[in-house]
Amino acid sequence: MRHRGLLPVLLVLLSAALLPAALAPRASAAPEGQLTWAVHVSLAPTWFDPAEAPGIITPYMIYYALHDALAKPMPGQAMAPGLAESWSVSKDGRVYEFVLRNGIKFHNGEPVTAEDVKFSLERYKGAASKTLKERVAGVDTPDARRVRVRLKQPWPDFLTFYTSATGAGWIVPKKYVEKVGDEGFKKAPIGAGPYRFVSFKPGVELVLEAFEGYWRRAPQVKRLVFRVIPDEATRLAALKRGEVDVAYSIRGELAEELQRTPGLTLVPAVIQAPFWMYFADQWDPKSPWHDRRVRLAANYALDRKAINQALTLGHSKLTGSIIPSTFQFYWQPPTYAYDPPRAKKLLAEAGYPNGFDAGEYFSDTAYANLGEAAVDYLRKAGIRAQLRPLERAAFFSGFKEKKFKNLIQGASGAFGNAATRIEAFVASGGTYVYGAYPDIDGLFSEQAAELDQKKREALLQKIQQLVHEKAIFAPLWELAFLNGVGPRVGQSGLGLIAGHAYSAPYEDVTLKGK
Amino acid sequence: MKRYLLARAGFALVSLVLLSVTIFAFVRLTGDPAVLLTEPGASPEDLVLIRQQFGLDRPLWVQYGSFVAHLARGDFGQSFYYRTDVLDLYLSRLPASLLLAAVAMAFSLVIGIPTGVIAAVRVNGWWDSAGKIFALLGLSLPSFWVGLLLILFFSVFLGWLPSSGSGSLLHVLMPAFALGWYFAAAHMRLTRSSMLEVLGSEYVKLARLKGLPEALVIAKHALKNALIPVLTLAGINLVLMVNVAVVVETVFAWPGVGRLLYEGITARDFPIVQATVLLGGAMIVVVNFLVDVLYAVIDPRIRYDR
Amino acid sequence: MTGRALASRAAGLTVAWRLAAFRTGGFPLLPTLILVTLALVAIFADALAPWDPELGSLGDRFLPPAWQARGSLEHLLGTDHLGRDVFSRLVFGARVSLVVGFTAVIVAGVLGTALGILSGYLGGWVDQVIMRVTDTWLALPALTFAIFLAAIVGPSESNIVIILAAVYWTRYARVIRGEVLSLKERDFVRLAIVAGCSKRAIMRRHILPNVLNSAIVLGTLMLGVVVVAEASLSFLGVGVPPPKPAWGLMLADGKKGLMAGYWWLTVLPGTCIMLLVLSANLLGDWLRVKLDPQLRQL
Repeated sequence: MRHRGLLPVLLVLLSAALLPAALAPRASAAPEGQLTWAVHVSLAPTWFDPAEAPGIITPYMIYYALHDALAKPMPGQAMAPGLAESWSVSKDGRVYEFVLRNGIKFHNGEPVTAEDVKFSLERYKGAASKTLKERVAGVDTPDARRVRVRLKQPWPDFLTFYTSATGAGWIVPKKYVEKVGDEGFKKAPIGAGPYRFVSFKPGVELVLEAFEGYWRRAPQVKRLVFRVIPDEATRLAALKRGEVDVAYSIRGELAEELQRTPGLTLVPAVIQAPFWMYFADQWDPKSPWHDRRVRLAANYALDRKAINQALTLGHSKLTGSIIPSTFQFYWQPPTYAYDPPRAKKLLAEAGYPNGFDAGEYFSDTAYANLGEAAVDYLRKAGIRAQLRPLERAAFFSGFKEKKFKNLIQGASGAFGNAATRIEAFVASGGTYVYGAYPDIDGLFSEQAAELDQKKREALLQKIQQLVHEKAIFAPLWELAFLNGVGPRVGQSGLGLIAGHAYSAPYEDVTLKGK
Repeated sequence: MKRYLLARAGFALVSLVLLSVTIFAFVRLTGDPAVLLTEPGASPEDLVLIRQQFGLDRPLWVQYGSFVAHLARGDFGQSFYYRTDVLDLYLSRLPASLLLAAVAMAFSLVIGIPTGVIAAVRVNGWWDSAGKIFALLGLSLPSFWVGLLLILFFSVFLGWLPSSGSGSLLHVLMPAFALGWYFAAAHMRLTRSSMLEVLGSEYVKLARLKGLPEALVIAKHALKNALIPVLTLAGINLVLMVNVAVVVETVFAWPGVGRLLYEGITARDFPIVQATVLLGGAMIVVVNFLVDVLYAVIDPRIRYDR
Repeated sequence: MTGRALASRAAGLTVAWRLAAFRTGGFPLLPTLILVTLALVAIFADALAPWDPELGSLGDRFLPPAWQARGSLEHLLGTDHLGRDVFSRLVFGARVSLVVGFTAVIVAGVLGTALGILSGYLGGWVDQVIMRVTDTWLALPALTFAIFLAAIVGPSESNIVIILAAVYWTRYARVIRGEVLSLKERDFVRLAIVAGCSKRAIMRRHILPNVLNSAIVLGTLMLGVVVVAEASLSFLGVGVPPPKPAWGLMLADGKKGLMAGYWWLTVLPGTCIMLLVLSANLLGDWLRVKLDPQLRQL
């Protein structure tokens, strides 16, 4: 009797011992040499091709891994030599010559040549491609390592546009692209970056593997996995359970929860992405927004500090400008205090003692939380607006096509300098400009032709002062992108490149203890 | 039998046609279909192009014809965001939904059938009452509410289970329970009533008269027959589960077709939405037809009846 | 038994079970009280709610209910992520849910009953067409269909009512048609035909009043279903748009707070939904048995 009883007991003990192993989440048994990111947006195949750079920073998450550029922002340098080891400008400012490094290769072993550079520039069709095409006269390739870009007119911002504001300086292999075509390239991209493409499951994950022939250094982590987890709570849950090592974009109450969790670190990165409220109707004499006092009232009605604390735990940088503070030619305006009585007074002076119906407040769904908070404060001041979140693509297109009215929550994380931002958001004819002021426009065309940097700076600063005086916008903050880092990570790459939201450069990313 | 099958097949076909007509009609009903069929973010020139491409200026019946022709070829359109065929996208997410549905179904049968049997055998006992409460709640509580409560309890307070996502057995437990509770109740009820019916039948009375032990009567004779309708319902419900799991999949971030529909909605990726609805509806029609066929095979009455 | 017959039978068993669970053939007092209370709350929301449901104060966000540690009596049931008072939002949410629910049920009921009568009485191709459409729509899972429609027309309170009505009228049509079919054989209808009454008159004066009972019963049962559907749609973001306080929306907002332990943001709105649905279901079941004991097949 007793013997028969032992066997079942042994079996039970055995299964009890094995059960945890059977139930253990698969991903935490990750092999050495892999790091996994939980990404907050769904990776689109168009982001594998720098020729289609949409002017937002998100695809750079991938560019920095798969591709390399002639020059690009790196730790400590806004324009560090990449595939080009040096460059020079002709005396008349019309010809830029780039010298490529020796021995640089694409993932398929092909060398990176001047032909590829010319090809990449000419096929570029992403953001600001029109500007580029208008001003570039032609590209010459005197030899395999030298590229000459000829401009129609001297253009002081050419390097900024070429190396950061557009994807034209990110180099793709001409022969390969011509062989497989644009769509084929998006299915199996090849670049000159530190990691090569392994596989992509749309909406699920992207897998990359180290390219040991990378010129700068061989990467230290063998595999990078980017898992798409758009749901914030799930991202945090995955990070907590060790299924991922870095989680992008954890905000508000979840960020607080992350901070409370032992083993996890909250890493904020203030990025070059100011957010602001755009008064689209201010040029319409019938609109309440036409009156500068109303616009000022809106500015005083917002408690930016409280919003910052609630949404980004105080890490965002409050600002009075729509231009990132790290940009060249930046002028620092004073920030607005939270002053509801003053807001009410201004509204009353303008003729709206009981407030007014302010219509709709358009925002990107990802930042609807900011919009919600802002609308709440506006409503408390009597400015009754209705939040209308739109999915990102729809939002930016509606913004561009001037389909919106009333209030728009503008934001941009694109690279560039003060002039590029003013061009896009302030000066007449700009992509996102709903109206303009002649004095600002005058100054802007002046600075575009000005070759003397100091004079140019003065002009650009004057423009920014005018923008502030006219209260064209209600600037909110420079967003702090909050990320969570797990215990396995050594160097996460977050915050290394000034203003960049994501981990980069990838070749510097390490596992703990390595 | 052949006539019966032909009739059912005809009915299924008509349903499919009507399904496509309904979807087609609604898309064109609401103003400018070009807006829906174009990527959010398209310029007015793009809209003109899309109109030409889809022939939106041609007569409606021509448009419908081309719509159906595309569907027949398996062309459900391309996702704006992912730039791949929606059919591929749907099929790649279907296994996850089927897995969830399978586990939920297993749960609902494992709980539902034995409970139903016991409730039938010991009518109005303690077990019957407990079962009734369980069923009542299962039929009335919205599944996503159950899901949220489960997360609160098992993830936040107890920390035993992961709150969302997928990738291991632990991840599927809560969503499967949330999804399956309603169906567990449905299966329990059907089992009970079916069992009661069979227990009162001549066949069983005869077995009892013969002096067979009660347990054998129940297990061997009654159960087999009682289960037929239950398992059939289960088959239909499996496909239904895949379709109604939208909210549960969203709550738990489970990467199935329900979540795909949700993504399509939030990203304004209309081809995804349209395809999910079409394919979901088509699956149901097909499964219903298969069930009819199965019945024709099993139940001789039907074969000669019509 | 075809699949559909099975499903009908399974659904029909619902009544017996739900009633049996409360061991009563008697009047469901508690559910009715709950429904009446919710209705009163919805009507008098302005007076009952201490705070504006759409305005909040960031400094007061995530306050727990009054009986917990950081809670305060000012915010009896706590606050949400924007500092809005939960109690006030629940109260106004009752209004939103009930208004949307009732309106959708009534519109669906009117449409479905009318079509059911036409289909059942007129027969022929009218019947065939209506029934085929009904069957197809019934085959499509309601929620998926509703989401599809919401994707097309865009979310707004009025659109939601229209969408829900469009999805659920088929439930009525089926049942009413069945009723009408049996009514057609009754003597008083036959007499009216012989007497030369026009079809329209018969439908209006003889058929309609007799199917009203079923319509009412069905309406009560559908209320629960519609409220859950609206909550699901709002939860997914295609229902009632923010900042309106719909219960489903509150669940969606509150979901993120779950991980941080802010339980009241999901438990409380969910409980409200549950109470409404359970009560409506129990009352509807009782009504069904009371008003027409023959009504088993639904």
